[in-house]
Amino acid sequence: MAAEISNDSPSDEILQGSEPGASRNSMLLATDSYDDLASYLSDTNLSSDRDRLSSGSISEITHPTETESFDPKSVISEEVGPEVVENEINEQLENSLDVSASPVDEPAALATSDSDTVTERIGLDTPTSQLSELSTDHSQPEACTGNNSDEQEEEVEYVHSQEWRQHRKHVFILSQSGKPIYSRHGDEDRLVTLMGVMQALVSVIGDGQDLLRCITAGSHKMVFLIRENLVLVAAARSIESMPQLLLQLTYVYNQVLSVLTLSQLSRIFKQRRNYDLRRLLTGAEKFFDNLLNTMDRDPCFFLGAVRCLPLESSMRDTIAQSIAQNAKVKDLVFAILIADNQLITLVRMKKYFLHPLDLHLIFNLVSASESFKAAESWTPICLPKFDSGGYLHAHISYMDEECRSCLLLLTVDRDVFFTLSECKEKIRERLVKYKCLAAIAESVDQNGYKTSQVGIPELRHFLYKSRSAAQFSCPEYEAPYHTADQRDRLFGLYQFLHHRIHSSSRPLKILFHVGSHETLLGWVTSGFELYAVFGPLVTKSAAINSVNKLLKWIKKEEDRFFILNSPTF
Amino acid sequence: MMVGPDKVDLKVVLLGREYSGKTALAHRYLLQKFNPHMNYQTTVGAAYGARKFEVDKQTIFMGLWDTAGSERYECMSHVYYHGAWAALVCFELIDRESWLRARHWANEVMTRGDEGCKIYLIGTKADLVTEPGTPRKIEYATAKSYADDIRAKYIETSSKTGQNVEEMYCMIAEDYVADMAKKTKGEN
Repeated sequence: MAAEISNDSPSDEILQGSEPGASRNSMLLATDSYDDLASYLSDTNLSSDRDRLSSGSISEITHPTETESFDPKSVISEEVGPEVVENEINEQLENSLDVSASPVDEPAALATSDSDTVTERIGLDTPTSQLSELSTDHSQPEACTGNNSDEQEEEVEYVHSQEWRQHRKHVFILSQSGKPIYSRHGDEDRLVTLMGVMQALVSVIGDGQDLLRCITAGSHKMVFLIRENLVLVAAARSIESMPQLLLQLTYVYNQVLSVLTLSQLSRIFKQRRNYDLRRLLTGAEKFFDNLLNTMDRDPCFFLGAVRCLPLESSMRDTIAQSIAQNAKVKDLVFAILIADNQLITLVRMKKYFLHPLDLHLIFNLVSASESFKAAESWTPICLPKFDSGGYLHAHISYMDEECRSCLLLLTVDRDVFFTLSECKEKIRERLVKYKCLAAIAESVDQNGYKTSQVGIPELRHFLYKSRSAAQFSCPEYEAPYHTADQRDRLFGLYQFLHHRIHSSSRPLKILFHVGSHETLLGWVTSGFELYAVFGPLVTKSAAINSVNKLLKWIKKEEDRFFILNSPTF
Repeated sequence: MMVGPDKVDLKVVLLGREYSGKTALAHRYLLQKFNPHMNYQTTVGAAYGARKFEVDKQTIFMGLWDTAGSERYECMSHVYYHGAWAALVCFELIDRESWLRARHWANEVMTRGDEGCKIYLIGTKADLVTEPGTPRKIEYATAKSYADDIRAKYIETSSKTGQNVEEMYCMIAEDYVADMAKKTKGEN
């Protein structure tokens, strides 16, 4: 494998604002997926983190004029008003600052020399005596301190079992006191000791005024995300980089918030540090499972962008109009129509924008839940980027018998189910009348577009992200990437390319990489990100010519692939 | 079938621990069938459906909320039972834990529900009681006497066989009509 890196931009650099999919008026917040990570990694002030976390606030909508007082009836988070919550969180953050505001080395440098021994302990043997030595925390998980040896032996055996060990990526969630909350593979009850070790590691490093970020052991990476109340750990042997794994953990953490809200989470652990959070998460495991499985094959997460269902722009406008005109309800914040994990349209309340991360969680909610297919539903959902302090209420219903397109109406008023149900019926009638549902069905069945349509023979596949629109487009996965194995491999190539370009130590504008099976070209400007895959024999100049041609083609099709306007109610 | 809220005469709400069979009851209600191939799905939030009943030549539209049993939705549950004419509190006949939760729910409705909200105590999965390996954990007499104490009706159902399910919904519709008749009489 030979990598050739060039900092020269291809000949005719496209002016920002005229790149394909450029949007001056985006309905999505255009942020880089790594923005938040950068703040976490550079270990900045956590309270400013909270500010950047919210793109809107529920209290602002419920009390547009006076934010000081609140009417308990319209408050979203049950007993506590948003303002109170805010103070509570800030207090907590300030408290936690002492612990975490410590100088931390470059993440890569944390792969310390003694990490091997630590990993061996995790992977191979974890006697309890070592555990208690390691841990300085008083509230250790019960099962670690004293339980019968039979159970523990069984547990250790389980961790050693081939079946459990062969998984490529493990993800764990535990409480700050080391109580197991979730394990991607296997029953978390049988991983009490292992999670105890993880908690101990975090705690020992934390005692030295440091933050544990990553342990590298051979081909394994263990990445830690430490939040106020939770510790999230990914253990993977894969091509994924540390920031990419950290980003995935951030998604998982946000999924927890989406189910519980940050205010509820903080309150619970404030009351009882040792609380078994699984009690509140029953039935939510499927959200974590589905999210993690999707993150292993969908580039939308590391791109921090949303894919739109290709539609003629006139058709998309009709759909948006049908929704905007029939959902004029006070306090309705977002109306979102999706199909097959792709966005069809998003109508929003003026002033408010949706963050792609929140939209990904909405996609996950819909794709992980079979129950919405049976009847229209009404469910609380927290969008952590929008407002992590409270719930929005979502009216969720499928528009057609085949359950292709799903409409979500998100409001801050929890008593308007029936009003929204009527809106939904009117919207559905319009969508049927103007043959929108038929157009959506056709596009879903067509499964996007083919690479061959671009007319560049040597081009095999590509990902194109418009940064200003926070949207991306890619063709169907065709041969040689039609099998699951090959598709996984291609996904790994994209992750590799993305990581090299976004590497914090040496960010690149353009990367030409010749591999044994294909040639990769990554190109990032202030307006777009393009990752293209060619056959192995393509030369650099031919590849650059091709991507210029590709950009012209996407530009021509941009109205179909991207949502460039931003309808409001 | 979609029925607007204006046309709905009464709202009822299914409450109870997760896995106690509420969604299966709701399916029976909407589609009048049980799908044995359907995997267990946890309800997210709450699902709503409405259906028509004929009682004494009167047409009654009944809206049914199928709520999620998970504890995290508990703080939200009054949104669903607010304005409900009746609460159907479900428990599995073969699970003591769900019985305890049902008693908790009944209390919840009595203290926080609308005044006069009727309670129906529903023992579910009655077909399993006769199967080997899943013995009955709550005796009929125990449940019945508790129901009498809180002035609730007690019914044992099976969504799988359909035992008592349709009867239960019809009974609720009839009770509602009788209740309304009594109220109008009282007013006159």
